[in-house]
Amino acid sequence: MMKKRALMLLLAVVFMFATACSNQSQSENESKDKGSSEKVKLNMWVFGSTGYEKLAEEYMKDHPNVEIKIQSTQFDDHHNALFTALSAGSGAPDIAMIEVNNIERYREAQDRFYNLYDFGAKNIKDKYLDWKWRIGESADGSFLFGLPTDIGPTAMFYRADVFEAAGLPTDPAEVAKLIPDWNAYAEVAATIKEKTGKPIADNVELVYNALRDQAPVQYFNEKEELLIEKEPYIKQAYDYTVSLIQKGYLGSNGLWTPEWGNAMEKGSYATLLAPAWMQGVVKGNAPNSAGKWLITNMPGGAGNWGGSYLTIPKESKHPQEAYDFIQWLVAPEQQLKSFKDMGLFPSAPSVYDAPEFKDYKDEYFGGVNTAQVFAEAAQKVKTVYMGKNYGLVQGEIIKALTNVQKKKADPEKEWEEAIKRIKRQLERQ
Amino acid sequence: MVSHNHTNATVRPKGLSDKKKTALAGYLFISPFFLLFAIFGAFPMLFSFYLAFQKWNGFGEMTFVGVKNFSLIFTDPLFWKSIYNTIVIGLLGTGPQLIAALILAVALNSAMVKFKSVFRVAYFVPNVTSIVAVAIVFTVLFSEQEAGLVNATLSLFGISPVSWQTSEWGAKIAIATMIFWRWVGYNSIIFLAGLQSIPKDLYEAAEIDGAKKWQQFLFITVPMLKPIIVFVVFTATIGSLQIFAEPLIFGSGFREESMTIVLYLWREAFSNNAFGTASATAVSLFLLIIVFTTINFFASNRLDKSGK
Repeated sequence: MMKKRALMLLLAVVFMFATACSNQSQSENESKDKGSSEKVKLNMWVFGSTGYEKLAEEYMKDHPNVEIKIQSTQFDDHHNALFTALSAGSGAPDIAMIEVNNIERYREAQDRFYNLYDFGAKNIKDKYLDWKWRIGESADGSFLFGLPTDIGPTAMFYRADVFEAAGLPTDPAEVAKLIPDWNAYAEVAATIKEKTGKPIADNVELVYNALRDQAPVQYFNEKEELLIEKEPYIKQAYDYTVSLIQKGYLGSNGLWTPEWGNAMEKGSYATLLAPAWMQGVVKGNAPNSAGKWLITNMPGGAGNWGGSYLTIPKESKHPQEAYDFIQWLVAPEQQLKSFKDMGLFPSAPSVYDAPEFKDYKDEYFGGVNTAQVFAEAAQKVKTVYMGKNYGLVQGEIIKALTNVQKKKADPEKEWEEAIKRIKRQLERQ
Repeated sequence: MVSHNHTNATVRPKGLSDKKKTALAGYLFISPFFLLFAIFGAFPMLFSFYLAFQKWNGFGEMTFVGVKNFSLIFTDPLFWKSIYNTIVIGLLGTGPQLIAALILAVALNSAMVKFKSVFRVAYFVPNVTSIVAVAIVFTVLFSEQEAGLVNATLSLFGISPVSWQTSEWGAKIAIATMIFWRWVGYNSIIFLAGLQSIPKDLYEAAEIDGAKKWQQFLFITVPMLKPIIVFVVFTATIGSLQIFAEPLIFGSGFREESMTIVLYLWREAFSNNAFGTASATAVSLFLLIIVFTTINFFASNRLDKSGK
């Protein structure tokens, strides 16, 4: 008897718990439905410092029927929380910001998002850089996950003092002429190594990434087939990086380590191949090196690292209002404001013609119009399909390059091992 | 609200005896734990057994694949490497650590040491420090560069710099050191508690019989501490099979030198979105822990018998 009673009690408590939950969600729905006639509440998740709070205030002033609540979290937590919410089918916001590499994780979860083409996104497509827009689409181009926010076009940061010590020109235009392509880059690396003993770059990864980004195709095609064995480009990027490693032209600081940061101030290497947002990182790590770091075009073209999209998860009850807001938020006028306030680099090329952009100057980087350098780079980025397993392949190739550098491993064998590891992981998906 | 009243009425009939009322209240009091455990403990555990036989990317449909997940991980050399790594790091991290903890505890227990409570707190501080913070600090100490603190110290003794993050033994020693630092204090506090429960008259009697200090330690302290030692070895074994945060933060990007079982599992689930193989790894780890605990159990039982 006792046991039975206890069991019943337990069941009753569970039942109460369950009904309490469902009651709550019901009442929530009711208030939401009522709200639509008065005030629409939009929850928005972002990461990092976007400055979107300020813009949202502005929007709410003009649209008194909309209330926008922005929640900003740290990069990894933000993406993990979003993944969990979408996977569970509850708890996702009305608007979610997704970083360009992370958007690949959601390729198979198309049904968890609204297709922004259904809201007329085709009409604004021409305002944005084509390669940026393409990443936000499904492989066949019929579905649009998100509207483009900022981007991370890459250029070559270089230490003028190291170039000078090696007897090389230091003016940005002349440096660009001196290093138009990767052969020239290797020659300059030899000169710098010989004259100053310093490596041309501090780290293997950024050199490899720069080459990778200039390839016409990268790891996967639209059918998610692995291309790195069929197409020569990634192997070429790998081989080139290996040759620089073996000649001792590359340093071995891991990205984001304290040594990596210190080296920026000390000027213990010559070039840093990095995106627009790295300007802030350089300034932060090397506060006393103003005028020593300059920026010019990257050899051989440009690439992109970072930048985000704004998506509307299917759970949103107010997709139209959410779309109206994000369309406004990523419009060229607002992108210019984000650039001025927070340094988010615009993905709408019309902004590059604005006077604020044309007359931009950064005293830290020797008075160079860095905005213009990155704007040029942005227009040179290749349209590339990344694929949902992009991060996995990237990780294994970097591992192979690290082994070549640190363990003096045989590069061919490392390449084969990396491909084996990649295939082993792809099998499981 | 209606349902609330209704359910209350059904489970609380009139005329319950006092004894049963007390029992009921007891069950009510403990129910929050069981409810939370059912939701956040039991359900995920059982669900991962189910997931181990499915293919699932976190979204979309699950498909039943039988034992394919197990065959995939069992044929992956990295999986076996991760088991090897876990055991080696576990041994390196806990073996010397338990000996050091015992010595520290005995030292702290001796009459000579002053400010005992200060030391006790100091020993315990590493254990309540956030693992992430510890791992970040150790990453700086065990930097691969020649100027890194550990490498610089080694160079004073003429030892050439070690690649702590990318070499086979460097990575393991660095991670084991982190574990040592974090747990040595915790375990010595437990040993200390055990030491204080050993009756003083045993030592007095031994002294009268002319036993030296090391003889007292070997023939009184260690045998009397046996239950504590068994407990500490049990928890340390299970703990070291679950090493995760240290290699995640210390090792750069899932490298095989520092890949542990839980890290392997984590990579499958949260980096590769392969929840099936991740769950298969979890189930394998579960079995492995059972095997190790059983070995521990029989070993300590035999130790007990031989002691008597």
